[in-house]
Parts: sequence; structure tokens; C-alpha cells
Amino acid sequence: MFQNRAEALALALPAAVFAALVFLLPVVVLLSEGFRIDGSWMLSAYTGFFSESLNRTVFLRTFRLGLEVTAVSAVIGYAAAFAIVNLPPKGKGRVIGLVTLPLMISPVARTYAWIVILGRTGIVNQAIQGLGLSDGPLRLLFTETAVFIGLLQLFLPLMILSLISALENMPKDAVPAARVLGANWFQVFWKVILPLTREGLVVGGTLVFTGSLTAYITPAVLGGSKVLMLETLLYQQVSVANNFVSASVIAFMLIVMSIAANILLKRLATARNKR
Amino acid sequence: MSDAYLKLDKLTLAYGDTVAVKDLDLTIRKGELVALLGPSGCGKTTTMRSIAGLLNPSSGRITLDGSDITRVSANKRNVGLVFQSYALFPHLTVYENVAFGLRLKGIGGKDLDGKVSAGIKSVGLAKFADRKPAELSGGQQQRVALVRSMVMEPKVLLLDEPLSNLDARLRLEMRAELQRVQKETGVTMIFVTHDQIEALALADRIVVMLNGGIEQVGTPEEIYNNPVSAFVADFVGFENVFALENGKLATSTTSVELSGPAPQAAKGLAWRPRMVTLGSGLYQGTVRGTSFAGNTREYLLDTPLGPIKAEVDAELPTHAIGSTLPFDLPLAAAAPLSRYR
Amino acid sequence: MTARILSPLILGLLLIFLIGPFLIIIAASLSAGDTLAFPPQGLSLKWVAKVFTIDSFRESFAMSMFLAVFGTLTALVLGIPAAYALSRYKLPFGETVRTIVSLPIIVPGIIVGLALLRYLVVPFGFNITLALFMAHTALVLPYAVRVVSASLNNLRSDMEEAAVLLGSSRVGAFFRVVMPNIRGGILAAFILGFVTSFNQVPVSLFLSGPGVRTLPIDMLGYMETTYDPSIAALSSLLAFLSIGIVFLAERFLGFSRYV
Repeated sequence: MFQNRAEALALALPAAVFAALVFLLPVVVLLSEGFRIDGSWMLSAYTGFFSESLNRTVFLRTFRLGLEVTAVSAVIGYAAAFAIVNLPPKGKGRVIGLVTLPLMISPVARTYAWIVILGRTGIVNQAIQGLGLSDGPLRLLFTETAVFIGLLQLFLPLMILSLISALENMPKDAVPAARVLGANWFQVFWKVILPLTREGLVVGGTLVFTGSLTAYITPAVLGGSKVLMLETLLYQQVSVANNFVSASVIAFMLIVMSIAANILLKRLATARNKR
Repeated sequence: MSDAYLKLDKLTLAYGDTVAVKDLDLTIRKGELVALLGPSGCGKTTTMRSIAGLLNPSSGRITLDGSDITRVSANKRNVGLVFQSYALFPHLTVYENVAFGLRLKGIGGKDLDGKVSAGIKSVGLAKFADRKPAELSGGQQQRVALVRSMVMEPKVLLLDEPLSNLDARLRLEMRAELQRVQKETGVTMIFVTHDQIEALALADRIVVMLNGGIEQVGTPEEIYNNPVSAFVADFVGFENVFALENGKLATSTTSVELSGPAPQAAKGLAWRPRMVTLGSGLYQGTVRGTSFAGNTREYLLDTPLGPIKAEVDAELPTHAIGSTLPFDLPLAAAAPLSRYR
Repeated sequence: MTARILSPLILGLLLIFLIGPFLIIIAASLSAGDTLAFPPQGLSLKWVAKVFTIDSFRESFAMSMFLAVFGTLTALVLGIPAAYALSRYKLPFGETVRTIVSLPIIVPGIIVGLALLRYLVVPFGFNITLALFMAHTALVLPYAVRVVSASLNNLRSDMEEAAVLLGSSRVGAFFRVVMPNIRGGILAAFILGFVTSFNQVPVSLFLSGPGVRTLPIDMLGYMETTYDPSIAALSSLLAFLSIGIVFLAERFLGFSRYV
């Protein structure tokens, strides 16, 4: 009954055509702008882009922060996931709900909270000054640390949820078996848990990394123009400098990194299914 | 044939490189209970689904009750199908499941209620009419599926492995149920199965299939006693099946003399374990294994012909493992095969 | 042992980190004072009330709602047939279709907004709202297809075959047998799409203009100039809205099953 390919195509085409026209086409055209100067194809836009130290700084910073957020979220993620997985069912459900909650709230709200906390009259500064650790307010906002914290809070739930899923799918007897064979907790983690939850780690890591690379609001609000990241730079290049070529270069890099991460993800998913 | 009710003419179903069914010719009479029997991949399910209209043949013709239905869409064929998974509608009650097809026909009101209630009652599920399928056991679900198809008064009722999912007791009950339905309504029934016991027990005629074609068609007795090929023989329990070449029994490695002249035109011979006589005979074998089966004792012998399985009365003295003894494959008891492959 | 103390400690700190800021925002929005501060100086609902009086917020809220509701509905109208085709048929270019439809998740939204602005709006005078609407629909499309596909994959196809053999047309079988059983999935897809669209910023960044602004963009603009608790109040209200929807979805639907 499901043999008629024409039927199937007719059903799927509207969605595919729509996505292609609205997403694929315009984006491809935009990307081509970065490769063409005065009608001929060349890479001078890219060399030009990277020749400016500001751009290099922004690119490296974005990449570096992305890795840092991913690494830290992995560590915290495992700790949290362990703690959660061992909770009784009712508590577990509630905690998972609380962890998922932030994902439902607008990033604007989530980022804005940090202004209240890290601002000159914010809680942290109040506490520091109150404790006499400093005479005047510290500048905590518009620093890389602020952006780091903002991104971490934004994406940590994704890592935790991913790891919880991976931990729960781990064969239940693996850890006791290793313990019985004499492994200490560090060895158990390194040799048993990590390999078995590898995919969850990769899924979570990819989500966190690509999320951090392509985040806009958090770097914009918490970093401003002092801590430029790729997307805020892009916005600036378009709205302030009217430099579409530069914007196209940035766009291309963002997409390439995003696609690379997704391909990695797919590779690992199919590698698993083959086993 | 003038009383052909369902006729398949050179039916072929091919997908890309695979040919699921090739040039199948089959005639089924009205009111028959036919089994399509064969191992998985033989094409029996594909054939059944093409009769239902769920698959379109690459070539060939299907004729039902005088009309060519090859190109008729599945919802207009009036063919019933009881799926292996029952395929009940989980969001509808038993009553509504059974009423589904009738409603589509435009039947309503008292007429609908009469038919549906009678149907549900006939399979003993009157109390469950308002339940949802998830609340029913597997056997009960199957009966609902059966009734759902039967109230439509189909020209042919197809059943996909109706007994395979059931435990032994339910199997007997369902077998009886199917026979009752068939007797009372006279509906032409075709069921697909890989289990020869089911086929032998239920069917008026059995169609043994292999690799997209028909190996043999016959009554259960014919299939059981007179298999035409090695495959069929093996399928119905002849465990000692050999090719005949130049009047000798042949395996891939040796050939062995027979105790007498081979039957004319036979390309192979087959013996049931029961027919093998131990203690005397032309051949020698070594006992490799033995098992007790209540009334009988089974022996597995290593012989020049390869492994031979024999079955004798349990009361007879046992032969130890490792012992060598003569045995015979009596020609009189052999089933001649008109072809080997 | 150590786990018993460590575990609640870790979880406690974690939840404070994840949820604490949100609670602070709520508290800050209830401030009776004039500036954004925590702890709030006195409690008052005046900022919450003020939010409703700001015209641009009302307009942008309406725009965001419009995009979220109708964009998601459109995405479902496009996505449900696609999901059906992908899950039931061995589609010749199935993987390609799936990839194209999933693009919006891979391509950063800001790039799409920019591209649409540059190639559609500016050169052809294409209506910004329409471009925004198309972008939001495309953004939600992958979620719609994914969630509905998952539901369809869990539904055996022989049910539809059974319906057809009982006399139903293919379309009839879809509406009589498939839809009732994927209703939950469709609703879950709608809610997921709604929340995604409503909270979306990057796509809408460039596709804004006078009278065409989504709420988050409006909030960002407001934040640049005014430093009062209005934003805190609005953030809190929006957060409650999102949480409320998801909570109801979980309660009456078991939302988490579908995503």
C-alpha cells in the first residue's frame, strides 16, 4: 500500500521545497558573496578577514569559549547526572523537570538575570563590597567570564539531559561488575562509564558546542562590544559597518562549524548502530 | 476450471532486483480452506497481500468471482484480512472496531447494531463490546479482528499466520473457531503459515511454496504421503531424503546401491524415521545419538549416506552410542519424489 | 557515604545555578524601587503593571504570538504530510528530504534572517512581516517533522491497511485511524514549536523594523536604553507563560513522552 513513490514525493515536497527556498537558497547566495569579489571567485575576502587581528581574536575567542563551556559542562554534567540518576523515581522526575525548566524560558530572560547578579549594583558586587573585599564595584559584566557563565547556564541542561539518558541506557551491571573485579571509582569512571556513555557525551557536547558558537543574546548582553563573539561581530558588521562580505565570511564559518559538528554526531550515531 | 472462484494467473511480484513471486498459477474453489505453506521468504505473504490489493503485481492477473481485480484498489475488493498483529484500532471500542467497515458502507441504525452485536456475540465477546483493544488478551483481540472482517461478508478471508502467536491451548481453540466460522458461513479462506502441523490440521488443500513459486499443491494426505520434491518431503517430516542417480541413492559425496530396482521416473526417495528398520539390512551405520520419546526411541546414525534418523518402539532393546549395526531403507516404504530439487 | 552528602550538595548547587537567576529576576521585578536591583527595595506590583502599559511591548507581544501560533500551524500543515511520507514510504530521496527539512536546526538563525533581508526584503520590497513569518515557519518545521515522525513510527502501518481493506479510502484511513492516534504527538509538536518560535531571537534580529518586531527583540532594544525592572517583570511573565504551557502539556498530555 505504500509503494507509490509519486504519492510519497507529493506529500513530502511542499515541506522540502519550502525549507529549500526559505533557508537553503538565500543562505547559499549569502555564502557565495564571501567567495566573489567583483564578479570573480577568490578567497581574498577570507584572507582579508583573518588579516585583521580583531577578527582573529573574535574567531579564536568564540572557539575557545565554546570548548571551555563544553568541557566544564561535561564535568558538571556527569556529576549532576550521576546524582540525578540515583534518585528515587519521584524526586528524579522533579529534578529533571527543574533542570529542563530553563530550556523553556526565553534566553533573553535567562541572560538578563545575570545583569542583575553581576552588575555594578548586583548581588555579587554587593556581597564583595559588603565583605570588604573591595572598595568599589568590580566590573564583572562585559567580561569573558560573564559570557562564559551565561553560556554555561544556557546549555548545561542540554548536557545533563543527554548524560542522564546515556547513563540510564548503560547496562546496569557494568559498574558492579567492575567494582567486583577490583576497580576503584576513578578507574570505574574512566574505563567503564566513560566508554559506555560516550555517545551521550558526544550528543551533549555537540549541542553545547554548536549552541555556544551560534549564541547571540548571551554574548550580546553580557559581552557587548568589549567581548565580541562571532555572531555579535556579524551583527555589527552588517548593522554598523555595512560590510556584507565580512558578514558572509563569518556566516560561512559558523555554518561550517555547525555542519561539521552535526556530521560528527551522525557518524557516531551510525557507528553505534552498526555494532 | 468452471468452479474456480479465485484464480491467480502468472502472478509476478518483483521489487528492484528481488523477485518475491514468479509466474504463480493457482486456482481456488469457492468455500475452500487453503493453506499457503512455506518457509519465510517463500513468497506466501507477498501472494496473500497481492490478493488483498496491498501490493501491486508486476505482471499477471487476479480473478475473483469472475471479475478481474488485478487493478482494483484494495478498498473495493471485498477481501477480508486478519493481520498477524490483529491491527485493531486502539482508539475505538470493540464494538466500533467491528462496526468500522459497515459504517463506511453506509449501514447504520438497527441494521448495523444487529450485525455488529450478532458478530461480537458469535465469538463470545459480548461482555467486552465497550472495551478498548488494549484491555483484551491476545486471543480475544484476534477474535475481534476475525469478526471485524467477517461482518463485511467478504468474498475471501485471508489470515496471516493466525495460529503462530498463540500458545498451545489457544491454538486448538482458534483452530476450532476458524473451522466453525468456515462451516457456518462457507467463506473461502486462505491462510498463510510456516507451520506444517497447522496446515495439515486445518486445510482442505495445501499450497507448498518455495522461492517465489509453488512446489506442490494437494490435500493434506497427498502432501503428507506423496511429496513431490525433496523440499516438500523434508518440510513434512521425511528426515531421510536422497537423490536417485542411475538407480542408486546419491549424496554429494557417494552413491549407494539400493536393495532392489528403483521406482520408475523417481528422481529421489524419502523415508520417514519410522520406516527405517534397524538390526538387519543392506547398510551399516554407527549410532551417534539416541533419545527417548515416550512411546518411541529415536536414533541418529552415521552412515555412508550421511546422517540417518530412525524411530523405533521404545520397548525394543536399545543400541548403545558408538555401536555399529545394520539397517535397512525398505523400498516399499519409500516415498518416490518426482523431482529432487 | 561521601555520595550521600555530595549528591544533594551537587544537586543543590546545580539547581541554584540554573534556577536561582530566574528567581532573582522574579524578585527584582517585584521591587518598589525605581532601579533594577536585588534584593528589591520593598515589594510592589507596579513594574508588572507597567509592562502592560508599554505600547511597543503590547504590539511586539502580539507579533510574537501571531508568529508562534500561525507559524507553527503552517509548519504542521507542511510537516505532517512530510513526516507521513518519510515514515511510511521508502522515499527515493528520503534522507535528502530529511536533511533539507532539518536545515533550520543546523544553520544559525541569524544568517537566515540576514539572507532573507538582503535577497528578498531589500531588493524586492518583500513584506518584512511575511519574511519573518516564513522564517519562523521554516524554523519550526524540523521540530514538527521530527516529533510527528516519531509518533508515526510508533504506530503500526497495518492499521491503515486494515482500514482500507474494510472499505476506507487512503485519505479516510489517515483521518479515521492515524490522526486520532497521533493527536498527542501533533499537540506536543505544536507546543514545542510555539515555545521555540516565541523565544527565538537570532532569526528576527535583522527582520525587524518599525511595527515589525518580535517581543524578545523589543526587549533587547528596551534594555539598551532603559535600566528599570520592567524587563525583569516582562521576563518573569513570559517565563511563567512558557512554564505554564509546558506544565499543562505535561499534565494533560504527558508531553515528555513525545520529545
